[in-house]
Amino acid sequence: MTRTSLYRYLSSFVLCGPAVILYGGFVVLPAILGFAYSFTDWTGWNSHPHFVGLANFRELVRDDRFFSAIRFTLFETVLIVAFFTFGALVLAVLLDSITKFKGLIRGLFFYPYVLSILVSALLFQYLANYREGAINTLLRAVGLNDWTQDWMGDSRLAPYFIFCLVAWSGFGFFTTLYLANLQTIPQDLYEAARIDGAGAWSVFRRIQFPMLVPTLTINSVLALITGINLFPQIVVTTEGGPGYRTATLGYYIYWQGIQNSRQGYAATVSFVAFLALLGVAALQVALLRRKEVVL
Amino acid sequence: MNRISSVFVPLTLSVLLLVLAAPGCGGAPDDSKVIRVTRNIGGREGFRHHFDAWKGAFEKANPGWKMELIDLGNQEGSDYYKTRIATGDLPEVVMTWALTNFLADAGQLQPLQDSYYEKFGIPLPTPYKGKRYTSQSGLQLQGIVINKKMWTDIGVTTPPSTWDELISDLKRLKEKGYRPLVFGGREWSASQPLFYAIVTNVYDRVNDPAKPSWTKRRDAGEVSFRTDPTMKMIIGKMFEFVDAFVEKGALSDGYNEEQRDFYGGKGATWLMGSWMGGDIEPNKVDFEMEYWPIPSMTGLPPVMLETSRLPNGWAISASAKGEKYDKSLAALEAFYEPDVYQAFLNGESQFKIASKVAVDGPKSSWAPAQHLYDSMAANMKQYGTALGWHIALDDLPPPVIVTSMARVMQEILVGTRDVDKLLKMLDDDWDSARKSM
Repeated sequence: MTRTSLYRYLSSFVLCGPAVILYGGFVVLPAILGFAYSFTDWTGWNSHPHFVGLANFRELVRDDRFFSAIRFTLFETVLIVAFFTFGALVLAVLLDSITKFKGLIRGLFFYPYVLSILVSALLFQYLANYREGAINTLLRAVGLNDWTQDWMGDSRLAPYFIFCLVAWSGFGFFTTLYLANLQTIPQDLYEAARIDGAGAWSVFRRIQFPMLVPTLTINSVLALITGINLFPQIVVTTEGGPGYRTATLGYYIYWQGIQNSRQGYAATVSFVAFLALLGVAALQVALLRRKEVVL
Repeated sequence: MNRISSVFVPLTLSVLLLVLAAPGCGGAPDDSKVIRVTRNIGGREGFRHHFDAWKGAFEKANPGWKMELIDLGNQEGSDYYKTRIATGDLPEVVMTWALTNFLADAGQLQPLQDSYYEKFGIPLPTPYKGKRYTSQSGLQLQGIVINKKMWTDIGVTTPPSTWDELISDLKRLKEKGYRPLVFGGREWSASQPLFYAIVTNVYDRVNDPAKPSWTKRRDAGEVSFRTDPTMKMIIGKMFEFVDAFVEKGALSDGYNEEQRDFYGGKGATWLMGSWMGGDIEPNKVDFEMEYWPIPSMTGLPPVMLETSRLPNGWAISASAKGEKYDKSLAALEAFYEPDVYQAFLNGESQFKIASKVAVDGPKSSWAPAQHLYDSMAANMKQYGTALGWHIALDDLPPPVIVTSMARVMQEILVGTRDVDKLLKMLDDDWDSARKSM
């Protein structure tokens, strides 16, 4: 080995090594161990799990609550993906067209993303409180007592309130990705469109949207992951209730693993959820890649 | 490229080494003479006062040693304990609740000798797999606390003898313009009505060792929530209870809101354990309360629940080795210093079990608190106590059943009226949880 290649080898080791070690130690290894634990009855109380073969997987296919969690997660995910993919796109285009107080307005939209998810969730829990929450206080103040609701407790409203929390928290981030992409569209395309007499809608449909498809792909995948991983918001606000009605897949894994002391079964749920997410994300990327435009 | 590498590689390595070395430079705090103790204080002033007294007594008797509080808030510790077991760092003295068997089975507890209990005159707790682990502490009741003035206003001065009578009285309170009940559906306290109904109607009042308990029969598959006619009747009564007395918005409220409303004189009745009495003096609650037994749905006499016969209190964990074991034992002994024990009984509103400790508790100079304690003692004597399902550590439902009951109550609150579906929730949770034991 020459001195040059030794340096190159060392450089790559030094530059990539820490990240690889951290990623391996905190992501890959736990994932492998999690897969291994899915074949055990590990409770979390001891370090000697017993091998139970496919028992956990057999239980899973008959587990109503698992399927209920999947249904609720998918419901939230559909709302989240639609909103972060298309709602954020519309907002980004609108924000891009603003000429005055541009930075301030963009900053206001981005600000909720800076808050910790837990803080946002606590804030929404306060907003939703039936007796003292800001929403009902406001409604009562303007004489709309009949409109007051138990926003997080009413099983018909809670799913939408959770969605509002997620949407409020993440809107700025997804919008920022679109805004960054909008800045990369060459100005001469806009100028050519203007010369041809194109209106705002035509500019959006024929220039901006096709050029934003790569970000749309990324946003939709990130939104999908956000939806499937919906967990801290649930823990802080509804704890999966009322009943188990707002238990997402992530919350169900937590409930089984931590509260019900069934780490082995929780690992099985995690593994199956991981496979499902992988499949959906791959399909999503494959479908959206076809629509991308290359300059 | 070579020049960049020749500078960059050693530089980066040096920075990495510095980053790795930095945490060690500050010097770790000396915890060699610290005994860590877990306690669920949260916002309970009485609990904090007790811990301060306990810490003071321990540190006075063991110069140079410190007792450090690990406050578990409103949690029962299982999440925290499992995390600490995983990192091999369980505190030396742990509050165990219904987790004693989990901790003991995991080899995380060290047994106490009988001489510990004899020293303070504590009745020997039922051993678990031949060993005793917990300090035991006091006698805890569960029943119904009432606002005496409101109940007297409707002419009721003695406890209702049946559940239907209770419902009828609550209706009269409502007609009189009082809020008959404080009830929050958001967290564990939502389970209280269902819990009371199950343990006083489904479980035997007297435990006959020759007769398997409902828990044992449930585990053997002889009975289930879905097939038990008493359970179906109980759920029907819960529908009536919720429909008649639980107000809109209850799912926004939890234990703290229940406590605030009751102490604020905004509700006539609270189905809550005796520990609520420990917060009366710190909160300066200024009206008279009484503590009543739980009326039956099945024609049996009203009864109070005694939920502290099982191994309970604090235990020494496997982390306490050598001198730390001795000092952990000293901490458990300091618990029974008269001032400390009195503070415990006051804070938890529990009754004395350590016959050799010169205290008479719970006691308070705050008249409403003392009135409540007197009422507890008198009604315990008059109506007696039952263990419900708190029979033995190996004859106990899975701990998750409390959460499960709360979720069933939440379902009732949002309008579910399918009895079989609700009982299936309990059965499913029971069966699932049994796989973790």
